[in-house]
Parts: sequence; C-alpha cells; structure tokens
Amino acid sequence: MPRLKPVLVRELYASAVALRLDIMSGMVPLSARPLWRPLLGLVAAIPLLAQAPSDLFEKEIRPVLIEKCYGCHSSKLKSPMGGLVLDTKAGLKRGGNGGPVLVAGDPKSSRLLKALTYNETDLRMPPTGKLGDDKIAAFERWIAAGAVDPREEVAAGAPAPAPKKGMDIESGRKWWAFQPVSALPQPKVRGTAFAKQWTKEKIDWFILAKLEQNKLKPSPEADRVTLIQRASLDLTGLRPTYEEVQAFVADKDPKAYDKLIDRLLASPHYGERWGRYWLDVARYGEDNPTSEATNPPYPFAWRYRDWVIEAVNHDVPYDKFVKMQLAADYMPDTPREDLRALGYLGAGPIYHTDLRLSRDVIETLVTDGWDERVDAVGRGLLGLSVGCARCHDHKFDPILSKDYYALAGVFASVVQAPRPLANVDKDLDKQFMLTTQKLFFLSYLANLLNGEPGSKPEEAAKKVTYYTKEMEKLRDSMLFLKESHPEMWTYLNGLARVPVVKPLMPKTAEVVVKPAAAPMPPPVRPANAAAARRGRGGASELPFMHSVVDAGVWVDGSDADLTVLDMRLDQPRDMNILPHANVAAPGAIVKRQFLTVLSTGDSTFTHGSGRIDLADRIFSDSGPLAARVMVNRVWAWHFGKPLVSTPSDFGTQGDKPSHPALLDDLAARFVQNGWSLKWLHREIMLSASYRQASHPRADGNAADPTNKLLWRMNPRRLDVEAYRDNLLNLAGDLDEKPAPLSEELDAAENKHRTVYGRVSRGRLNTVLQLYDFPDPMMSAPQRDLTTSPLQQLFVMNSPFLKDRADSLAKKVESDADNSAKVRDLYRRILGREPTGKELDLALTYLNKGTVGEFAQAILATNEVIFWP
Amino acid sequence: MITKKYSRRELVSQLTGGLGAVGLAGMFSEDSWAAAAKAGAGATQKQVPPPQVKFPNFPPKAKANIVLFMVGGPSQLDMFDPKPALLKYQGQRPSSVDLRTERTTGGLLPSPFEFKQYGRGGVHVSSLLPNLASVIDDICVIKSMYTYNPTHTPARSLFHTGNIAATRPSWGSWISYGLGSENKDLPGFVILSPGGGGGGFGRSGFLPARHQGTFFDDSMVEPDKMIRYLQNKDLDKEKQRTQLDLIQALNQEHEQSFGQDEYLEGRIQSMETAYSMQFAATDAFDIRKESEAMRESYGDTPFAHGCLLARRLVERGVRTVHVYYGPGQPWDDHSKINKNLTERCPDMDKASAQLIRDLKQRGLLDSTIVTWGGEFGRTPVSESGDGRDHNPYGFTMWMAGGGVKGGMAYGETDEFGFKSVEKAVSIHDLHATMLNQMGVDHKQLTYRYAGRDFRLTDVYGEVVRDILT
Repeated sequence: MPRLKPVLVRELYASAVALRLDIMSGMVPLSARPLWRPLLGLVAAIPLLAQAPSDLFEKEIRPVLIEKCYGCHSSKLKSPMGGLVLDTKAGLKRGGNGGPVLVAGDPKSSRLLKALTYNETDLRMPPTGKLGDDKIAAFERWIAAGAVDPREEVAAGAPAPAPKKGMDIESGRKWWAFQPVSALPQPKVRGTAFAKQWTKEKIDWFILAKLEQNKLKPSPEADRVTLIQRASLDLTGLRPTYEEVQAFVADKDPKAYDKLIDRLLASPHYGERWGRYWLDVARYGEDNPTSEATNPPYPFAWRYRDWVIEAVNHDVPYDKFVKMQLAADYMPDTPREDLRALGYLGAGPIYHTDLRLSRDVIETLVTDGWDERVDAVGRGLLGLSVGCARCHDHKFDPILSKDYYALAGVFASVVQAPRPLANVDKDLDKQFMLTTQKLFFLSYLANLLNGEPGSKPEEAAKKVTYYTKEMEKLRDSMLFLKESHPEMWTYLNGLARVPVVKPLMPKTAEVVVKPAAAPMPPPVRPANAAAARRGRGGASELPFMHSVVDAGVWVDGSDADLTVLDMRLDQPRDMNILPHANVAAPGAIVKRQFLTVLSTGDSTFTHGSGRIDLADRIFSDSGPLAARVMVNRVWAWHFGKPLVSTPSDFGTQGDKPSHPALLDDLAARFVQNGWSLKWLHREIMLSASYRQASHPRADGNAADPTNKLLWRMNPRRLDVEAYRDNLLNLAGDLDEKPAPLSEELDAAENKHRTVYGRVSRGRLNTVLQLYDFPDPMMSAPQRDLTTSPLQQLFVMNSPFLKDRADSLAKKVESDADNSAKVRDLYRRILGREPTGKELDLALTYLNKGTVGEFAQAILATNEVIFWP
Repeated sequence: MITKKYSRRELVSQLTGGLGAVGLAGMFSEDSWAAAAKAGAGATQKQVPPPQVKFPNFPPKAKANIVLFMVGGPSQLDMFDPKPALLKYQGQRPSSVDLRTERTTGGLLPSPFEFKQYGRGGVHVSSLLPNLASVIDDICVIKSMYTYNPTHTPARSLFHTGNIAATRPSWGSWISYGLGSENKDLPGFVILSPGGGGGGFGRSGFLPARHQGTFFDDSMVEPDKMIRYLQNKDLDKEKQRTQLDLIQALNQEHEQSFGQDEYLEGRIQSMETAYSMQFAATDAFDIRKESEAMRESYGDTPFAHGCLLARRLVERGVRTVHVYYGPGQPWDDHSKINKNLTERCPDMDKASAQLIRDLKQRGLLDSTIVTWGGEFGRTPVSESGDGRDHNPYGFTMWMAGGGVKGGMAYGETDEFGFKSVEKAVSIHDLHATMLNQMGVDHKQLTYRYAGRDFRLTDVYGEVVRDILT
C-alpha cells in the first residue's frame, strides 16, 4: 500500500471534482483502473475523494516518472537533459531550461502534458514512445487537480541541486592551459653521467627525466643516412639525393648536422612544407562545398596560400603571422602584398543563401557561416571548442554562450570580398570591396527573379526592373575607376550582369520558365597554357585577393517574398545570444569582446569589427595558451605525435600533456625568442630526443607501447604531399619552381609540388582523399594516417606511378648492364646501394621483367613511403 | 537500454536464423563477424579511438542498407499522398494553412494521377508507380516525414549527415565506423551516381578517412572505368603477381632490417588485399555478369544499373550503398511537373520495385533495409502554374526490408498534404530507426571530437517502433 500523505482539502476537492468529471464523461473506465478499486471500497463514505491527488501521484505519476523519465531527468545526472529534474519536488516545480513544465490546474498550458501527447514535432516525451492514453489521461487529471507533488523536499531550506553546469569562470581561470608560462629549471636526473653524455638541448632533460621515472633509456642516435633523410623530409618534404647523403655521411665536421638544419631551413622548400601544415589548421580551400549561386569558388585563394608559404619562409613571428590573417588591414605599415593574409577569413567556407527563403532560414545559414569562423579561430588558434557554446554555455569548459556570441559578432561585422592587389586609397579599397558584394547580390536577385519569376510574375518583373536599375546605378557610381583602375572597373562591370528580360506572357499559368543559370563571378580568361589543367572553378590571375571588409550584416525579411542581406560599411553588429542557435528566438545583445575566462580587464572590442582587438587579445590575454597550442602543433609535426594528444582542444575534454613542464618551458622560450618557428625547429631538431633511432625495442614496446615517453623516434609514413612530391622527385620529374595559380593534381603534366595543387571543398582530389588529406571544411587538428587497399591500387596501377617508372627507366637506359641499372635505380630512388640479396632479387626479376616494371616495384616498396 | 550482452555466436545464430536463408552461411561466418568486430577492418597505424561500445550492441535485423535517393525532392502528392482537397479547392489558397514556402506560389494544384489502394494494408499508390504498387506489401510508406531546411544542399546534408552544415560524417561513414566491413576487398560505403559525384555527402568528416564513401559512376558498366586504378593496363595477372612478389620480398627485407612495425606490416597486407581486390571488385562491380533477363528486369538506365549493382554489393557484404537518381537534381520539379514525372517515374519505379523483388527472392530483403526518398517533398500549391516548390514540412519516404513492416502507411499530412500532422517523423528519427535495425543504438554510436561526443542523430532521434516488425 502506498503511503497516504496529508494534503490540503482544497486540492482533494479539486481532484475529486476532476475525477468525478472524468469518470462521468467516460474518459476513465473504472474497470481499467484496478488499483483504485480497493481504495474506493475502503473509504466508502467519501468514495471519490479517496483518490487523493497525492495518491494519484504515487500510483499513476511517480511510477511513470521513475520508469520513463528519470533516465534523463534525474538530479543524480551530471547534466540532466534540458536542465529538467523530475526526481525532486523542487525540480519538478522549477521546470527545465525552457521554463516551468507545469501549470497547476491547467493541463492545456502545461508543457509536460504537451510533450506527452506527442502533438508537437519537436516536443515529444518520453522519447522511447508515446505513453498509453490512460497514462496520459492520468497526467491530465493530476495536473488539473493542482499537480500535487507529495514528495518531501530534499533538504528543508537547501536549494534543490541545480543541474550541473560547466566549469565556472573563476575555476576556469585556474585551468592549467591558461596559466602563464615561464622558462623552467632544467629537471634533475639521477644518471647525471649518462645525461651529460646524451643530452644536447634543454628538451632532452625533460624527456630523460620522464624516461628515468619509468625505467627506460632513450634510443641511440640514428645513423647518418637516416638523420639526413629524416631532417630533409621534415623541413622540406623532399628526400636528399644520393650525393647529398654521401656528402653528409662523409662530413667529419662536428657541426655537420647543425649546418644541415640551417641549410634546410633556408631552403624555399621549407615554406612549402611548413606552410602546408598551417593550411590544414586554416582549412584552406579554393571553393565552397556546393559552389552554388551565392557561394561561388574563390579564384584568388591561391594568393593566400602563397602568402602563407612566403611568410613561413621569412619566419614571420607566429603572433604577427596570425594577427595578419585576422586583421592585416588594421596593422600599420603593412605592405600591400601582406593583405593576402586575410584570405584566412576571405576564403573561409560559406553556405549558399537562396534569398527567396524566409528571413529565419537565411539568418540561420549566415550564422552558420559565422559559426565556422568562431570554430576555426577557437580550435585553430586557441585550442578551445568555443563552438560548443553556440547553443548553451559550454557543458565542460568555462566558455559562456555570451562569449560565443561576443566572438560571432566580430564575424557578423565583416563581409568577404575581393580586394585589389593595386595599392589604392583605404576608403576606395573599402568602397570597392563592399560594392562588389552589393553588385553581386543585386545582380543575383535581378537574374534570379528574371529567370524564375514564380507565381507572381508581374511583381517579379517589377523587382527585376528595380534591382537592375539599382545595380546599374551602383555600377555607374564607380565609373570613375575606368580611367585610374581599369582592372577594378572591369571586375565590377563584370559583376553587374543585366538580365535579358523576356516579354511577359499574358496568362501566368502558361509561363514557361527555365531555371536561370547561376550567376558566376566574372569570367576568368586563361592567361597561359597552364590554364587548361586548372579544371572547373579554376584559379584566376586577375589582380585581386580574397579578403574581408568591415561591414555589419543584417538579414532583412521585410519583403515577404524576398529576403535581403543588408550590409552596412563600417557598422559593426553586436549579436543577440541565440539559445539553441535558434534565430527566431533571440536573447540579449552582447558586445563584441574576448572570452571572459581569458580576459584581463574590460576586453570590449573597439576597432571596427573587432578583428584587430581579437588578434591582439589572443596574444596578450591568452598568449600562454596560444603559445602552448602552437608549440604542441609544431612538436606533433616534428615527432608525429603531439605532447597534448588533442591539438585543437586544450579544454577539459582534451587530453593533458604527456610532458607538462616541457610544454610550458618550450612555450615560454618560444615567446622569449620572438615567436620564431625557425628557433623552435632548431631547438627541437638539434635535440638528442629528435635524433634518436626509431627502431623498435623490446623493453620500450613492453613499457610504453605508444611511445608516449619518447624512448625512440616515432617511425612515420609520408603524408600525401611528401609522397607525391618524392615520387616525382626520385624520378627526376619534379618541377621545383612554385606553380603559378593552382593546378589539378590529376593532370599528367602537373609536375609541381602538391602544395600548389587545387584544393576543392566540394570535390576533393581522389589521391588527396586516398592519402588522408583532411576535410578542408574545418580546421584540422592533425591527420589520421591510414593504410588502405585503395592506396595500393594507386601504387600498383595508376598512370602517375607508371609515368615515374618510365622516366626512371629512361634515365638508366644508357647504363652498361642490368646490374649497373639496378644500382643506379637504388641510388636514385632509395639514396643507397642495394644489398647483395636485393641485387640478386633484382637480377632474377630482370631476366623476364622490364626495367620500367622493376623501377615501379622499387617505387612501390615500403621504404619509399616510410619515414623512419 | 539494452543491457544483455550477446555472445558473437548468439548474434550470429539469431541473425542467420532471422534470415532464414541458405547460401548466406559464407557471408555470415564467425570470421567475418570477428573481422567486423575489429571496427573497420582496414589496417591503420594511427591510434584512432575505436567506438566506445562494441557494435552491434543488440541483435541486428539488417546487415546492410540501401538508400535510393531521389535528388531534388520528389513529389509526395503525385505518388503516395493523395489529397482530394487539392481538386476541391483547385487554384485557391485556403487561409487555414500557411502555405508559404521560399518561392512565390499560386493556388492548389491537384495531381492528375489516379490513386488506388494496394496490398493488405490498402496503401495508396498513384498510377505513376505500378511496379512499386505490386510490391507494396513489402513497403512501409511514411507519409509524415519532415525536415528543417527548404534548400537543397542543407536539406540533403541533413539527410546524409544529420546536420545542415556540410561538415559532419555521412551515415554510411558512421555505419562503417560502428560496424566495420564485411568484405575487406570492397569499400564499406559505396555511393553510386551518374557522373560519380555527390556534392561531398560521402564525407567522413571527423571520422577516420577510411570510413568515407567511395563514389562510383553508375552511368557506366565497365568496372575499370568506374573504379580508378582498378586494373593494370600493362601487366597481366601473372606478371603482376611476379612484380608484387618482388615488392613483398623487398618489403620483408626492409622490415627485417628496421624491425617489426605495425605500419610496415599493414602495408604489406594491404598490398595483398589490393591485388585480390582488383579481381573481386572487377567481379562485384560488373553487372554484365548478370543474365540478360535479370538486367532487363531492372532496366537499362543509370539508376537501374545502380539498383542492380546495389544488390550485387550488399550480396557481397558491403554495408551501405547509396544510389542517387541524378545527375543534378532531376526531381526538383519547379515547373512542368506532370510531364516530368510521367517521363521520369517509369525507370525509377521499375528498378526500385525490382530491387525489392530481387532482394526478396534471394532471401536478402530481411537483412537489407531499403530507404527511398529525397531531401524534401513538394508543395500542394503550384509554382509557375505547373510546378511545385520545395516542401520540408511534410513529405513521403518509404522503407522496406530489414525488419520494417510491409503493406502499411504511417503518419499523415494535413488535408492538403503540406505539413505532417500525425506521427511526424524527422530525419533524425529515420536515422535512429535505420541504425536500430542494424543493431546500433543511435545514442551510443558516438565519436569524441572538438570537445564533445557527436552522433549521427545529433541530440535528437527516436526509433519509430510502430513500423517495425
């Protein structure tokens, strides 16, 4: 028997009335409620009052709550779904994130009942299936009777346990990754004699100390051949030639290795290699996934890529390097060509917005675009999943929803636009950029409505006329450019595509329309023979770069049939918080500012959109974090494995560093040394830790199979860029000059380095895909390198490999005999002489097989793709 | 919550028992389950986190799934969802429903196609689809689908990845990640489309790249044209074997001098797989190996090839096959819809119905879940007089096989066929249901990325139990 709880007479009465009504109306057949019967019989004097609301709760409501609801809505959960707790009296009364779920006495207004009835598509509970009608009726009755909850308060006076929130800001400020960094004393080791002999750089002491703690020794230094190969691949992505290897092996200078590193760092190929690493983080791509009417490809994106390569080659300090990508236009004395850096934002992925869609749909799509920027900056530059705070305060990290929208506001205040290469006056620069976008959308609208007038052709025709006129007016306002900057004028003029208006048919239903061709950016004329291999959406040599201009974007839905993007030059937009990212229910407006947990003092952004403020804050307020994140990335690119195994998540859900002191010390000294990557490369590559052999060792395998402690160098395989480049290079086919623009990688005549190949977000090249190139839609923390049979089909059967083998066969044609040819091929491909056994195998094969087939076999071996 | 742990043997016996078919034993050997349990049979040297839960986490009904994707958004009102009110109020715009969509539309446009009821459930099918009508007892028509975005790309993205932003992994990638592959010689997630493109909806997103969908051009019939680098143009089988023997001998030498290494071994193995894959895939992808009669029963269009190929592939253990009805987005009938449907439906109808029939005859239908539909449906009101606009609010999809009830219609739209009003089913619900039939609890199929656990169903999705056997 359930306990009967004392209840107010008023509630009893209400319940009795409700029940009586239900029973009288036949909604609740008594027979269906076996539990009631004994009660009804027991208290015959007041038959209907016997079913007290508290009783109703215990019999009908609580069992359902326990069985169906507590799984997700319990105070015992870390984060109850929707913030709703149903296993406490206070929780049930308070409701969830969406407000109260009960209106006592009014079932129709109670969200709880709405959810149970499954009438609304987005509010249906329990998710496992609708309750039986009798159960729902019981809830309805119970609410009508005042929703009496007879449970005792958890603790009198104590507040009900609030649903667990993420880390609060104050605790957040103490998070390890946000703490200042300073150079640390060299750690103590026990085996000092060994340490003195083994260590070469400060890094080594940190590594050795940890190894010692785990009773492991480092591996001996790798042999000279491996060293030069490792370092060359590391810094330039290319293997050394046989002659280079021999010279290095023979070099008796104790500084030979140091000189090698310096030489490699000075090579222009260094920027091609390390620039490409950065492009993974910067999610570099040359188009949009769909490249539809309003998100066409980025024909000048390659200029951003080239800037990255050049900047890395010039060892631009990392802080400046990042700042330029966010706000080069705000940095004093920036040479014009450095504005190419803004391609980081200017060629970021955006979504197609069909402006016939409603305001809410369009606003959602544009906020998705801003979200992409917040994510790229958050994870890419700060190592924080700020994007998680889009719908609600971050569940784990000290990042508030208002922080998210404070950053999103920055990106709501910029517009992507091409910027002329020519050094033009600042105001003209901005005017031109915004005009390109306004013209683009006016032209888009005029042509769209002309091509697809829909069911209101007269109205559409009027709009076509209106937008065409507006477009022509705007275009003509820039006519002054025709003399001074003809290329700018031509570009604008090309954007303003006047629609070819067809005469209106008399009967609307008979109008035959064809979908309009998507308005494209100005036609790109192939300037040279290379153009042919650029394929669709090809790169352009026109003198522009993808960039951004400060202009707030609002979505204007005042016309019921057409949504318009309202771009206002130099007017930044503070965003409303959008709970659950729902644009239809905006919350409070938040000022653009830096993340609360990282800010020192008032961090409100005051310059234009706030890009420069953001960039500055990243390196002032969160300098230690930014330094740790980048040092960890660079470490990973050198060693194949990071110190923090989640390179783009330094929050509470990320991993802790394997060597925290080493990371901090290196980060501190990275900052002290002017954020110089080349300094960091030397520091790492000159270390004994880096120079270790990578051979497996039984003791190491047993104690630390994943080599977290670095008891050996990690053996790796080449990524796709290095693999393709080396195949070309070993065959003597590589064109080492930077490729103009961007070329299709599949084109047989494309012999440039892979970094210059076209990167499409819509249709990624198959070979790039095969070899784990990251999705250029999102900032990539690191590459997951896989081994698949499809890769081996490429190796065994592709024309690319065949062409390399044929080139090699030609090169050794004049060698005296098969034995000489084999030796020659070994030197060219593997940089070494064949062993006796290898020579035997080769000669046996060549009894029947051709030299070309043999060359391809060598190219296909593990040794070519392996990076020990 | 499923708490009972099944042994592999139990799973196998329940599954094969459920299939009730002979001739499949080889495909369901314990070895293949063991391989599948390794979560992605492809070798990898990178420590990618495996699924936190072992899948299947309860006995699956289906081991494969096929999606017939009508790119552009097919019209529910002309195929499965008859609405007499359209004729009654022809040309009018009733004020009781807000019929606004993104483009300006006119009055209600009745369907000229005659509907009849078929099968034991009396399911409505229009005269456009006589073949599907004939297999309706194997089909569950879901009339109450809805989605969130009226534009092609975001809606298509939602259908394929569970999110409108085109960054998340595609459903075939999730399945490959969760269930692994049954046939190491073939990709686990195949997308067939004329031209071989698909707008990035085979992406594996943040999942390891080996789970991405592989696109094949089903407007061709020669496997070596459909699959890049499948065949060696210069060496025959024997000569290639000799070359491979040399490569492997050198690889062994190399590994001996370096020491045992997971990557080196993986690549040696992978070379062997690739070698046999050349012949396995050449066989699997060659529909010309089917009899004349069989090919004739599907038809001779890219979509028909795709359907027949889909059957050949699931027969060989491929987990997910998406067949796009393309190229472009042909079902996007903003104008001339009646004429277009009359021209386009016959081959779709013939091939889809034959796929069901063929799977059934081979005893594969019970273990294969087939889903048909587009990114959204179309409006009851006309656009440009003789077309229909996009309609994300209410539209039809159907499912067949894999433990889905046949001969039934589920859910309802309003009286004009515009909005789902009864038993509405979201795309997330569809995903949850499909995963459920494959033995996967959609809430447990997660991947930790950027600080949180992601799912195909995001934070939504309920299994539509009413349509399951």
